[in-house]
Formats: sequence, structure tokens, C-alpha cells
Amino acid sequence: MNAGKQRLRGLLLTLIALLFVVSVPWYRETGEEVVMFFGLPEWVAVALGCYVGVAILNSLAWLLTDVIDPEDPSPREESR
Amino acid sequence: MTFGEMGVLSLGLYLAGLVVVAEIARRARKDSSPSDHFLAARDLGVFVLFLTLYATAYSGNSLLGYPGKAYRSGFSFIMATGFMMSIIVVFHALVPGLRPIAVARGFVTPGDWVRYRFCGEPGERALTLAVGILMCVALANFLLAQLQAMGHMTGRVTDGLISYELGIVGLAFIILFYENRGGMRAVAWTDAAQGILMLLGLAGLLWWLLGTAGGLAAITERVAEVRPAAVAVPDATVCANWFSSIALLGIGSVLYPQAIQRVFAARSGKVLSRSFAIMTFMPLTTTLVVTLIGVAAITRVNLDLGVASDEVTPLLLEQWAADGGAHTAGAILVFLGALAAIMSTADSCLLSLGSLAAGDLLGRSGQDPETTKLGKRLAALILLLMVPLAMWGQLTLWRLIELKMELLIQCVPAFLMAMHWSGLRAWPTFWGLCAGTFASAAMALGGIKTVGGVHVGLLGLALNALIAWLGSLASPPHESASS
Repeated sequence: MNAGKQRLRGLLLTLIALLFVVSVPWYRETGEEVVMFFGLPEWVAVALGCYVGVAILNSLAWLLTDVIDPEDPSPREESR
Repeated sequence: MTFGEMGVLSLGLYLAGLVVVAEIARRARKDSSPSDHFLAARDLGVFVLFLTLYATAYSGNSLLGYPGKAYRSGFSFIMATGFMMSIIVVFHALVPGLRPIAVARGFVTPGDWVRYRFCGEPGERALTLAVGILMCVALANFLLAQLQAMGHMTGRVTDGLISYELGIVGLAFIILFYENRGGMRAVAWTDAAQGILMLLGLAGLLWWLLGTAGGLAAITERVAEVRPAAVAVPDATVCANWFSSIALLGIGSVLYPQAIQRVFAARSGKVLSRSFAIMTFMPLTTTLVVTLIGVAAITRVNLDLGVASDEVTPLLLEQWAADGGAHTAGAILVFLGALAAIMSTADSCLLSLGSLAAGDLLGRSGQDPETTKLGKRLAALILLLMVPLAMWGQLTLWRLIELKMELLIQCVPAFLMAMHWSGLRAWPTFWGLCAGTFASAAMALGGIKTVGGVHVGLLGLALNALIAWLGSLASPPHESASS
């Protein structure tokens, strides 16, 4: 994996970690009034938004990940 | 034709299809080696690998345990979408390092990694055995949950024409048959079909729930009226449990032996990366959906919040079927999809259990066809022992998942720490694993599930890793590691 890809992958994984931290409503007051957002309680919508972000960033991170095999894959394998 | 008779007919057709797949898979085998039987000759492509990973990860726990938990907890169980996603994130720490070595060395079981990594060190055999025992116990636990779920689902899909007990015995026999005949190929191919059925079924059930309730906002408002705590911002303990679940499930689940074996079974590293790139979206189409189904059930059914809440999905499906016509057919499809998903996880567990028992517990390795035969026999024996336990069925499915993870996560130092720190030694890792397992099992059996919201398995892992780290620092460097 080249250095640029490696750095980008590292950045994506750091952003994913941040999204996981934000997804948990530890920063909200337990008794506060629940506001609806897209048919869901707002804190649930925030968590869901974070998880959609995690899915997109993690998918990109996997596409940037070179899982190296001892032998090069054949063209048949690449095409599938 | 009654609902039960339609269910029996559909189930019969589905099971006949599985038998046909097993025969085709048997004819596709290249030899009788363990890597052919247990890893499909390391030739799984993106589509089948993705679907087998999916069907294995989402199971009876997802379809019965998770809606039950969402029914009990309310919207805070959105955490499940997060912890299922964290699994695919944590795989970044394992797969790029493990896969090249596994292919080069011809690994079949997770224990092959432990043997390779700690090769020749004092304590290597003890550590391999301890990891093998923990993984087998965790798998057996997982298998037990699937058997229970199979019994529940069969009774429901046939409207009681086939009993809970007969469902467990009959489906266990079918699984044993197709797995013995076709090995990983049969398991992966049936998983692919089962994964598609599950996706279609869940989408249909959610569509019906949203349609009859008047949309998501209407469901949320009604839940807020019936049970206000289910929509309230969770307190500090629940938030701590949320973080803890992300860590416990994320870190522990990458050590599922059946998941590790699928890493070995991929046709190439690129195929593996692409499969994970798709898998990361599946919590949004599955875990989120079952969470919403469980929350929506708060407005429709009134259940005891113990074992009975695992009945949420079957009860909703019964309500859907009662609408008649296409609704009945849709409900039967979902029942079958759920049953298929449960069976796909059970067959993967059983296949892994056979290979682990033969390879890691009894020390049989290499490409000897006798190891394959032994693995098949051990899988059959384990299944025979598990069936009576499943018939007893007292624990909730969610509790079974947690107990399994508390044990499995104790293998983390032997894999993740060992992969990223060459200074880790076998004996300290072994003693750390024993201490962590003892501590978390003692707390769990003593009725302590969490401390301040943090799972006892994570506390056990902290103790485990500390012992492994300090013990390795105090140990003299090993020759093979220093060279």
C-alpha cells in the first residue's frame, strides 16, 4: 500500500472512531424534551446519521485496503 | 389450505432444495482434504463470500433476539446498528495481517495462527488448546441459540403442526446431512440463498408495519404514548453500555471462528476487501430494520419483558398473516427467510466446530482426509449433545449472545495483540486468557452482567491484556521472535 493511500485510510478510520463517539448521546441531558426529526427522536436520528457515515467511510477504507496474497490473482479472479 | 398446511408445504420444498444443493456441492468437491471440505478449496468469490458472511453474521439472534431486545429497551437499541457496524471496522486490525500468512501457510482453523505465531515457544501448545476450548465453547453457545430459534420458528411457520422439539431435531438432522455432504461449499451456497430470503422477508415485514401504522412518525408518537421511556434520551449507564457493546461486539465478533475461516476461504485478498466494503452497509438494511420492528411491536403486542419478548417477531408475523391473501404468503416467506437465516448460522457454527475440535483440540492438522472425517464425526457428536439442551430452552437469546462474547473476547490478545506486537509471549498470553476468562465467567455466573454499564467481558479483557503485556515485558525474548 503506498503512503498516500495509507494516510487516507488512517484518516478515514479516525473519522469513523469520531462518528462512533458522537453516535452515543452521552452529551445530552437524560430528562430533556424529545424532538422529532424525520419521524425519529432527534438523538436516534443523530445516531443513525453517524452510522450511515460510518458505513460510507468504512466502505471507502476497505476499497483502499490492499489485502495482499502471496501469489498474484489471475485475470479470471480479478474480473469476478 | 390453512396457514399451517401452507407452512408445512413451503418448509418441505425449502428443505428439499437444501438437499439438492448439498448433492451439487458434493459433486463440485476437488478432493477430501480439510481445506476443500472446511474452506471450499479457498475459492469463494465476492458474491458468495459477501452473502455467506452476511447470512452467518445475521441469524436467529438478529431476527428473534434483537427485536426482543429492542422491544424491551426501546429506541436506545439503535446501538445494535452501531455495534454490528463496528465489527467490519475492527476487521481492519486483523484481516490485512492475517490473510497473507494464512494463505501462504495453508491455515484451516484459527488455532493454526496461534501455532504459527508462537511456534516453538514454551506454552504454545497450552495457548493453542486454551484458545480452541474458548472458541468451541463460544461456538457451541451460539449453536445452542440457533437450535432454540429453529424450534421457535418451525412451530410458528407450521402453526404448531410441527412442535418445537420436532423442529429442532428435524432441522438439526437436515443441517448435519447437507454439511456432511457438501462441506463449506454447501454451507456457502445455501447461505447465499438464505441471505437473499432474509433481506426480502425483513423488507416486506417493515413495509407492512409502516403501512398499517401510518408511517415512522406515527409509530414513534404512539410508542411515546404507550411507553415514554422507550423514546427518552438514555441515561449515563445506558450510554456506557452503548460504548461497551460497540467495543465488546466489535472486538469479540472478529474472532468468530466461522468469520476467520471465511477470511481464509476467500478466493483472493481483493475479493475479501470488496466483500467487506459491501458488508459494512448491511447493519442499515438488517439490524436497523429489526430494531424498528421491535420498537414498532411496543404499540402492537403486550409481552412479558423476559423470555417471552423473543416471541416478538413470530407474533408480528402471525398478525400479518391474519390479514389474508398476499399478506399470508408474505408472512410465510418471512418465516422461511428467518428460518433460513437461523439455519445458515447454525450450519456455519457446526462446520467450524468440527474443524476446531479436530484441528485445535485434538491437534490434527495438515491436508489428511482422515482429519476431514474426524471433523465430520465430531460435528455430529456435538450436535447430538446440543439438541437436548436446546429443548430445555430457558435463557433469553440475547443473554446467550452476551455470554458467548464474554468468552470469545478473551482470545483478543492471542490474535490482535500478537499480530501487532512481536514482543508478546505465549505463557503470559495463556495466563492472561485464563485470568480474563475466569474473572468474566465468575461475574457472569454470579449474576453480574455489567459494572456501571460496562460488560464484564470487557473488564476481563482488560485484566487479560494487562497480564499478557506485563508478563511479556518481564519474559526473556524468544529466539524465533528476536530473529
